[in-house]
Amino acid sequence: MISVQNLNKTFTLTKQQRKELNTDQRTATAVQDLSFSCQPGRVFSLLGPNGAGKTTTLRMIATLIAPTSGQIHINGIDALSYPQEARKHIGFLTGSTGLYARLTPIEVIDYYADLYGVEKAAREQRKEELFSLLHMQDFLHKRIGKLSTGMKQKVSICRTMIHDPSVVIFDEPTSGLDVITAENIIKLIRSCKDQGKTVIFSSHIMSEVDLLCDDLAIIHQGTLKYNGTMADFRANMQTANLTEEFIRIVQAPNSQL
Amino acid sequence: MIFRIFRKELLDTLRDRRTLMTMLVIPLLAFPIIINVFVEISKSFEESADAKMMKVGIVGDHNKNYIKQLEKIPAAVGPKKIVVFKDSLTLRKAIEADQIELGLIIPANENNLRENQQTITINWLLDASEVGRPERAALYGSSLQANADAQRLQTLGLRAEQIKPLANNTINCASDKKMLGQLAGGILPYMFIAFGFIGCMYPAIDLFTGEKERGTLETLLTVPVARWKILIGKMLVVVSSGMLAASCSLIGLFISIEFLDLSENQEILKVIHGILTPYFIGSLLALLLPLVIFFAGVMIPIAIYAKSFKEAQSIITPLNIVMVLPAMVGFFPGIELNLNTAFIPVVNVVLATKELVAGTLSWLYFAGVFSVMCLLATLAIVLSYRQFGKESNILS
Repeated sequence: MISVQNLNKTFTLTKQQRKELNTDQRTATAVQDLSFSCQPGRVFSLLGPNGAGKTTTLRMIATLIAPTSGQIHINGIDALSYPQEARKHIGFLTGSTGLYARLTPIEVIDYYADLYGVEKAAREQRKEELFSLLHMQDFLHKRIGKLSTGMKQKVSICRTMIHDPSVVIFDEPTSGLDVITAENIIKLIRSCKDQGKTVIFSSHIMSEVDLLCDDLAIIHQGTLKYNGTMADFRANMQTANLTEEFIRIVQAPNSQL
Repeated sequence: MIFRIFRKELLDTLRDRRTLMTMLVIPLLAFPIIINVFVEISKSFEESADAKMMKVGIVGDHNKNYIKQLEKIPAAVGPKKIVVFKDSLTLRKAIEADQIELGLIIPANENNLRENQQTITINWLLDASEVGRPERAALYGSSLQANADAQRLQTLGLRAEQIKPLANNTINCASDKKMLGQLAGGILPYMFIAFGFIGCMYPAIDLFTGEKERGTLETLLTVPVARWKILIGKMLVVVSSGMLAASCSLIGLFISIEFLDLSENQEILKVIHGILTPYFIGSLLALLLPLVIFFAGVMIPIAIYAKSFKEAQSIITPLNIVMVLPAMVGFFPGIELNLNTAFIPVVNVVLATKELVAGTLSWLYFAGVFSVMCLLATLAIVLSYRQFGKESNILS
């Protein structure tokens, strides 16, 4: 379970960034007073346009960066006070495969299993399950740099799931992938849900959200615009389709939501 | 966990051809190539200078006596051809035009000077920038001088000892090892330090900037391992690479001396062989280790800060000059390891290595230089840790 309360993140802008953003302000607020919770066995989608603060939020949940203020709990563990303990429960996957091109899939997976402290017996069993599920046996000993994007994505998935995390964070996981490769991610998210894991994923593609999610939060310019179940969202739509409704919510002032 | 990270990063690094080149191949081949090129070039210069036909110009036929003396000088010291000129101005122009290699101007009153037992001054004209010409002029000059001295002594009825009541003889008390330390002691630490730096460079950029650029750092930082452990694991690979590069240059030197017979001077060979002892190698590596950690500790914050491989390279490459330039201090004579120089990073290691080669490094200075470098290495590690902890640096 993920619990986020009154989360704020402010970045100090460098001179170069101030120039690029054409602003005199010394700080930029990426996330403002964000609160939501993600339940086990349910898929939570963080939806928002580019620059809304989705990645910053997910990075804070993954303990990659610290919030300026607020609380994050992962399976009841205070992620700010005990980040290493919280990380043991988290699997983190981004759209970019983020793999070591000079290593083989088996080397990468063993490395991450060691980093997560997975016991040898459990690791072997887990590896066997994942390799079989993702059909990876044929390229386990090839250098990652020589693999196709789809194969790399499978290695990324395997690396993310090797320690059997109960909380899985996907940051725009299908971004830049073709439909066949993206299908692996869709299957993975569904499988995580079926296994009772807590899943949070960010996206700006409404169709993807519609396909997968149970709960939804829409953020824009770092603030929460909508938080509820997907069923409620559909039931209370004021426009003809989901994409139009998403645009309406993002563009509407808070008083008109 | 640090060792696990080290193992993986080392494997990754050893599979990178670019790093392998700078870490193993280039340092290993540097000394054999440099020594080979140096020996071959100096040999060919010496041989060509010795074998070169020198046209020696002399003014006037009246100097037949000197022409005869010059002709009598054995051809073994180099072939020559005597050319007679009408006047000194024509001779000078011929030398300036490189038509004549050496020229003698004998005073017109040479006969009077000789008869009156006065000094005859012969002016030698030559282009001193040309290899071998000053040496050949000195050789011919000393031959003429010896003939003139013998002739004068005979006229006076004296023996050489009678007009030479005192002779000075210099005896060099320095050991061959110390002399080698003085002459070659500068190049050795320069090479070790340069390779130590270059050896660190690519792994530092690859393991920090490269990982950030490829998006693998973000994933790595989500694992339940303290960031300082990740930093130390990676830093160990950078340091190992620097040490390996420096060690490979030492192995290259050993191969050049032991197996390739690149130096024919038996005395030098004996001395160098005597230097390459476990004590020397151990002490050298002990001096280099904190220096290489210091290099790594300076490069890593830059590599962490840089947004791309190119940016990191563009900052670290000029740093190479700043860091390795002080190593050239070893080439200057008179700069010694003392209480002041012992505190200057890089310079202290160079001077200590120079003294180590010469066998004159005291334990006190060794401990001093080692401590100073350990302190700087610690500060560099702290700086790396602070940079690695910054959110703005670790995420692209």
